Amino acid sequence: MTKIADMTENSPEQRKKIYWKDYIKYIPEDDYFFFRSCIRQTFFPGAEQAFLAILKNNLHKNYFDDPRLTTCTGIGYHSDIIPLETLHTMIARHFSIMNESGYSNLVISCVTTFGVMIEVLNTWHEFPETLEKARENLQKTTGRTFELPKAIAHASDIIYLYRDEIAKQSVYKLINKETGKPLKVVDHVGCHYAKIFPHHGIGGAEFPKVLSEMIKTWGGEVVDYPERRHCCGFGFRQYLIKESRGYSLTHAQIKFESMQPFHPDLILTNCPGCNMFMDRWQYVIQETTGKVYSSSGNGIPVLTYEELAALLLGYDPVQIGLFMHQTDVLPLLEKLGIQFNKNEYAKLREESLDLAKIL
Amino acid sequence: MKKIVIIGGGIAGLEVSRLLLQEGFPVTLIEKSSHLGGNIRNYAYLFPDFTPSEEILKNYTSLPGNADLQLLLNTEIEKIDFSSRPYTLFSNDGIAISADSIIIATGYQIFDARLKEEFGYGIYDGVITSVEMEKMIREQHIVTPYGKAPRRIAFIHCVGSRDAKVGNTYCSRLCCITAIKQAIETKKLLPQAEIFCFYIDLRMYGLTFEELYLNAQKEYNIQFVRGRLSETSEMIDKRLIIKAEDTLIGRPLKMMTDMLVLMVGMEASNFSKQFAYHNGLEIGEHGFFKPLNQFNARGKSQKEGIYFAGTSIGPMSVAETIEHAQATALSTISYLKGKEN
Amino acid sequence: MIPMDEIYADPRIRENMNACINCGVCTALCPAADYYDYEPRYVERIILMRNADALEELMSSDYIWYCGQCMSCKARCPRQNAPGTVISALRYWSQKLGLFIRSPKGRQQLIIKQNIGKNIYELGYCVHPSRLTMEEHPEQGPVWQWILNNLEKVHALVDGNIDKNGPGPMRKIPEESLQEIRSILEGTGAIDLWNQIEMEVINTDNDQNC
Ligand SMILES: Cc1cc2nc3c(=O)[nH]c(=O)nc-3n(C[C@H](O)[C@H](O)[C@H](O)COP(=O)(O)OP(=O)(O)OC[C@H]3O[C@@H](n4cnc5c(N)ncnc54)[C@H](O)[C@@H]3O)c2cc1C
Ligand code: SF4
Ligand code: SF4
Ligand code: SF4
Repeated sequence: MTKIADMTENSPEQRKKIYWKDYIKYIPEDDYFFFRSCIRQTFFPGAEQAFLAILKNNLHKNYFDDPRLTTCTGIGYHSDIIPLETLHTMIARHFSIMNESGYSNLVISCVTTFGVMIEVLNTWHEFPETLEKARENLQKTTGRTFELPKAIAHASDIIYLYRDEIAKQSVYKLINKETGKPLKVVDHVGCHYAKIFPHHGIGGAEFPKVLSEMIKTWGGEVVDYPERRHCCGFGFRQYLIKESRGYSLTHAQIKFESMQPFHPDLILTNCPGCNMFMDRWQYVIQETTGKVYSSSGNGIPVLTYEELAALLLGYDPVQIGLFMHQTDVLPLLEKLGIQFNKNEYAKLREESLDLAKIL
Repeated sequence: MKKIVIIGGGIAGLEVSRLLLQEGFPVTLIEKSSHLGGNIRNYAYLFPDFTPSEEILKNYTSLPGNADLQLLLNTEIEKIDFSSRPYTLFSNDGIAISADSIIIATGYQIFDARLKEEFGYGIYDGVITSVEMEKMIREQHIVTPYGKAPRRIAFIHCVGSRDAKVGNTYCSRLCCITAIKQAIETKKLLPQAEIFCFYIDLRMYGLTFEELYLNAQKEYNIQFVRGRLSETSEMIDKRLIIKAEDTLIGRPLKMMTDMLVLMVGMEASNFSKQFAYHNGLEIGEHGFFKPLNQFNARGKSQKEGIYFAGTSIGPMSVAETIEHAQATALSTISYLKGKEN
Repeated sequence: MIPMDEIYADPRIRENMNACINCGVCTALCPAADYYDYEPRYVERIILMRNADALEELMSSDYIWYCGQCMSCKARCPRQNAPGTVISALRYWSQKLGLFIRSPKGRQQLIIKQNIGKNIYELGYCVHPSRLTMEEHPEQGPVWQWILNNLEKVHALVDGNIDKNGPGPMRKIPEESLQEIRSILEGTGAIDLWNQIEMEVINTDNDQNC
């Protein structure tokens, strides 16, 4: 039996109700074909592994991690060195590999991939001749044929779908252990998750619920801040080219400045790029201006939804790679009262931060 | 004697009733609410000259006492059976009413501003609709939800109109001038407040509307910004931040305001929207009833004896509604006298 | 004369040409408009004018390169346009027609090609830790530097599989898969585009040196 993700309506600070129902979308329940993200693997490989571990150990789901998949070329497309036809054919190849492995529910780690795939499917739908062209190109270049996936979901959709089950199995809650109060969490949803096609995102483009519902279900308090919908600032070529990288910094800063008055304990993201930028730009701002956005530590910790789910489920912070963050997450771990091998974590952090002194 | 039923006791239904009664035709007037008057009961002063709406409604106070009028309040018509003559109307509580001629004056309803999610209605307390603003003007008391006099107010044009995103691509026609009316009323009540109107185009179609616009600028110092609202958000102190583009300068604009008034558009009433599913009359692409033609039969339907009056066919001002109702009354009378069909 | 019909046949332009109401909703929320002297509304205006000279001028300028491709504009437009998607098409055509070399920002496509293009072609990834050096990416900070120095160890700690065969994060992409994507890059115009970028930029640099 398949079920449609239910949309709970309890939202005290955001009294918007009925219309979120319009954004109900189908989320597959099992048998996932996992599509990795270049950015996620590069910066936070532990997060993707945590996702798969949760699928396997906690949710008892079947998935397949196919080594033959490559980049979706979405970053190349959005930085304009991959023509549309190439993108279409690359996506077609991924579908072909999925068909070959006997799967039809595509679960995507990267928001850029999620965006381009939906966009490509939409273009094929609107302009059937482009689908024919993609078939022809794929056949010509690789000898492959392909069928369209039955369902496409972002990995955060899956965690959203099973947020209650995760809460049930959780060892920790998003509650400050000292004060007993819910932690204040701000969410940042990647632009390409729902802004291109609002109906493909849980909650739509304006009030995406995919992360905020996790936060609520896991005991935290969702904080709406004025620039919540603002882009993290990646900007593709704007970041990739050193000269225009200030674009990226500026927009991240707009967001930090906007959330700071609310004193968030955590920034939760669902996009590999956003997560890295919000983590790193806090460091740059601190280095260049001395400004720190958190009341303790060296910035507001930035976690991905997989990392957060894994933490609450009792996974080891080192194993899920939290030591790879530039902005220290230790203050958060302490607030949550996470029991873990602090020495190992501290040793890794020391090693890495020692380097800062040499640099 | 032919039986005439008028559905809807707004200004259109009242005007048609008044004229038919005056010409000696008994009518049945059916109104779903417990009052006559329709939407303008909620509005304080009417553009173009700030006439109190009560004054317009006064013209009809003697109607309910007319012996030839059968008035059915609290009765909502849900369905009309056109299959045999006389036609039969069915109300929500099962009453069947037969009629030789029907005048549909079911009016309009306002756009549900929550659908325009990014504007924050129903989420941020400082965001209100133009209908709520009318109420504050009527009570001569404009305050933020936190009980303070707003220092800055922004009126947002085209909310739920001219917007494929919410499915309404037409212009509601009256909200531009209504915004100016409300902005002036607001300034009269709060002389210290700064008032902005954010518009795409200013549609001052009436002969005296442009003067009102000029007045708003000159006498009341109301600022007009050509740019549609893009989004609303709320700061920690509950003030609102709005983003738009000042398209005349060509730069994005971010502004803080205490109150946001959404000029909600006029939509087809539920009655006409649902009509498309269970009845035989034609509904236009925007959900309003579709008259026989747009020139000399704007009050006629495709069916014999069935007429439209007022905003059931599209957005109109009070004056236009009354004129349309008068034209429809004349067509109906000609029909009843066997001179037209 | 630029090939107007071909440009306007691009699905990205066809799909997003619903006329513009000039409301400015796109500019209002556009991060690029916040940062540069730029307006998506202006791009939409030029494209709708269908004037070859104006379009050529636009495609030859820095203007089209300001957009950050966030697509925030698509979500909001009351006419359901997507200036960001139109930009994608214009950038493609600007490169294809060699107009991109006329603007400094356009010429930077060479850098993208030499980074992202190379990564895709050689590794099957668009980014890879080994290609994110501190010289190019000082903003990555000391933790990143340490990760680069300890790639194997770090990836082992998090159950990674860096540069090794089999599945897992940062695995080595199998040779057959690389062959396939290279064949796609060659067979669908990406390599031609890259050569074009390289050649045009080198030629102009030479011209300027003479
Ligand atoms: C905010 C705002 C301000 C405005 N200000 C002005 C102004 O200053 N000046 C001006 O000229 N115009 C103004 N207007 C326009 C004005 O409201 C209309 O012109 C006028 O109300 C139209 O009257 P009507 O009778 O056609 O419709 P309505 O007023 O909508 O009347 C329709 C009636 O039909 C009844 N009805 C509906 N369905 C059924 C059913 N199925 N069975 C029985 N009864 C039913 C309804 O209850 C209602 O009483 C304003 C509009 C808005 C939105
Ligand atoms: S009348 Fe003015 S505010 Fe109303 S829809 Fe038309 S242009 Fe917009
Ligand atoms: S896609 Fe480009 S034009 Fe559109 S909002 Fe983002 S940066 Fe601006
Ligand atoms: S939002 Fe759409 S209609 Fe408005 S200016 Fe931009 S492209 Fe034009």
